[in-house]
Amino acid sequence: MPDVEIVKATDKKDEKKDERKPEPPTPTQEIKANIALIDRAINDIETRLTHRVLRSLTALRKRINDKVLRDAIEENYPKDSAVKNSLLSWLPPAPPVEQSMEVDTTSGTNAAPSLPPSSKPTSDPVPEAEIYFRLLIIHHLHTSKDTYSKSMELSHETVDKMQSMNRRSMDPIAAKIWFAVERSYELGGELADARPMFLAAQRTASLRHDDDTQASLINRLLRGYLHYNLYDQADKLVSKTTFPASASNPQYARYHYCLGRIKAVQLNYTAAHTNLQQAIRRAPAAKTAPGFYQVVHKLFVIVELLMGDIPDRGLFRHPVLEKALSAYFDIVKAVRTGSLSEFQTTLNKHAAQFEADKTYTLIVRLRQNVIKTGIRRLSLSYSRISLRDICLKLHLDSEEDAEYIVGKAIRDGVIEGRIVHEKGWMECGSQKDGYGPEASDMFGRRIGYCLDLHNESVKAMRYPLNAHRKELAAAQDAREREKELAKEIQEGDLDDDEGLGDY
Amino acid sequence: MASQKLATLYNELQRAFDARPSDLKKCGTLLAQLKVGLIEAGLLIPQGETNFHDLVVARDILEIGVFWSIRAKDVPSFDRYFSQLHTFYTDFRSSLPPSKREFAVRGLNLIRLLTQNRIADFHTTLESLPLPADEINTNPYIRHPVNLERWLMEGSYSKVWNAREEAPAEEYKFFVDSLMGTIRNEIASCEESAYDSLPLKDAATLLFFPSQSGLLVFAQQRGWQVDLTAGMITFAKKNDEQVEIPTQKLIAANLAYARELEQIV
Repeated sequence: MPDVEIVKATDKKDEKKDERKPEPPTPTQEIKANIALIDRAINDIETRLTHRVLRSLTALRKRINDKVLRDAIEENYPKDSAVKNSLLSWLPPAPPVEQSMEVDTTSGTNAAPSLPPSSKPTSDPVPEAEIYFRLLIIHHLHTSKDTYSKSMELSHETVDKMQSMNRRSMDPIAAKIWFAVERSYELGGELADARPMFLAAQRTASLRHDDDTQASLINRLLRGYLHYNLYDQADKLVSKTTFPASASNPQYARYHYCLGRIKAVQLNYTAAHTNLQQAIRRAPAAKTAPGFYQVVHKLFVIVELLMGDIPDRGLFRHPVLEKALSAYFDIVKAVRTGSLSEFQTTLNKHAAQFEADKTYTLIVRLRQNVIKTGIRRLSLSYSRISLRDICLKLHLDSEEDAEYIVGKAIRDGVIEGRIVHEKGWMECGSQKDGYGPEASDMFGRRIGYCLDLHNESVKAMRYPLNAHRKELAAAQDAREREKELAKEIQEGDLDDDEGLGDY
Repeated sequence: MASQKLATLYNELQRAFDARPSDLKKCGTLLAQLKVGLIEAGLLIPQGETNFHDLVVARDILEIGVFWSIRAKDVPSFDRYFSQLHTFYTDFRSSLPPSKREFAVRGLNLIRLLTQNRIADFHTTLESLPLPADEINTNPYIRHPVNLERWLMEGSYSKVWNAREEAPAEEYKFFVDSLMGTIRNEIASCEESAYDSLPLKDAATLLFFPSQSGLLVFAQQRGWQVDLTAGMITFAKKNDEQVEIPTQKLIAANLAYARELEQIV
């Protein structure tokens, strides 16, 4: 087995060697650069650098393998460091010496020459670097089924280590570690068992004002609850915690999605709609995270339908969504035409998919919306229609039902009209005009949103520290230069005069 | 078995409960004693290592408690028993054999939420049922409340009315009565806005009143004008009150815009 792996690893190396020239640095180098960045981040107390390192995590994750990790650890730690040995013990034993040497030299030669072998560190890097390595190893262990239990073990050890060290500068990495821990549990199929640990950690994090970890953990917990359909508990968690305002966008996107889900189940569609919209806006671009994008949109379409709106047609033509949403598109069509029978057949046809998406119960609720849309269409096209015709057109079971349903629609404000019981028909009134206080309210809300957006983006602008000093100095310089120039001009005038005189 | 005393009490309770008609008073006193016994044995809210057989007995006792509370028409007590049972249904799901009364109990809880018009809770509970979605439509205990909710939301009130005899268990009927009160009020509010006037006879059928006298009392409660000679009910028209322009609000909004704009420019 190890032999095969080595072959694969070297194969990959060779492949990469060919295409590497124009490409960015090898994973090993990238890790090294990242470690340097983390080091700088800790020394300068500038968490932004750590965040930059973590941003590259997703891309890096796909490129690492045993070999890369081993090399990176070897390169960054001194020869006989205890940390190094403990890290290496999580990876399969190194391949036979000659081979690794050979690969080493090849990677050394084709790597940038700016990496002299003398740069071997003499002391351990900061502890954050160790945790970062552990994070990479956990992610690497996730890639294969055989190592799930190992990844769980490592996560536990890492969490213990993190908590015993208790360094604030470690928080951003810790947040990522929690994500990896959850993934370990999920892949092992024991997500519920992780809950007590997350809850305890969440408490600690909120006491320490550790925003990154807190945001990550709240999302972990919510996800765990929703996975097991524990909406009650999830709702309570949301009401008892405050999501840190400084959380990063991806965390916010996840949080909003969870909120949207909870609100949708609780029939609070307007709130669900806003939350899902936020989730979509904050989510990474469709191409980079297609899974999340699709899942959010599925729920979004349903919520929009439940609110009585019809989603935009363009949404279903989006390249990322087109295929994933095809079943939902059928449902939208059925709701739009207000045909109960079509709705029912579509529902039955795609039942398995909806169930897998956990939207089945929400879609079943759409039944009443189908009826409402049907009645609204009738009320718009007829000025007077008999209850019997309504019953036939909407495929209702009896005229009696039709009378109640129409009555309810009138009361709920779906349509304007009256029922004349003696004659057995419905008279449809005129539609309300669209001008009034509601319109101004709507405008007010939209303008408020735009202004908020503007203010937020002004606040979000970043300036490097002390940059204004430089500018001041520059201004000073400029003034000086101006003075000189003025002087020169004055003198130059004289010169010119003299020159002229010469002529 | 936790203790001999508990066992005899449990047997007694089962006998009293299974007797037709069951002895409600005796069940009540027995349940109270059993609960004390369960607490002493650490089984009411099971913690730590507990005997598998004891847990099943504890669950049985609580289930009888649920049905007893309904028969005794004691809703708060039903709530208490149900939340105690919840631990057994969720946390011990994997270790205990499934109870055949479980879905009857869950269904009762759903109906209760429906009668109290707690629709959001109804859906949350429905969502967390340990059932695949297609089984919701086949399980008789769950299907009943789910159908009721759907008809209520659609407005098919006559179906709700007709379904009251189809309750899957005796205990459901207790809630059905209060549900009828709810839908009567719903229908009445629909009629107020959907009709100008309505003949007495038709109003009675629409509201499911078997006789006119019931209707008259109901009409009085809702403040309808009843014309007995013509046999008509007229609904007081809510005249569309003149919508005022919310000047204050508009001024405040405009001032806010002006301030923001000034900041931008």
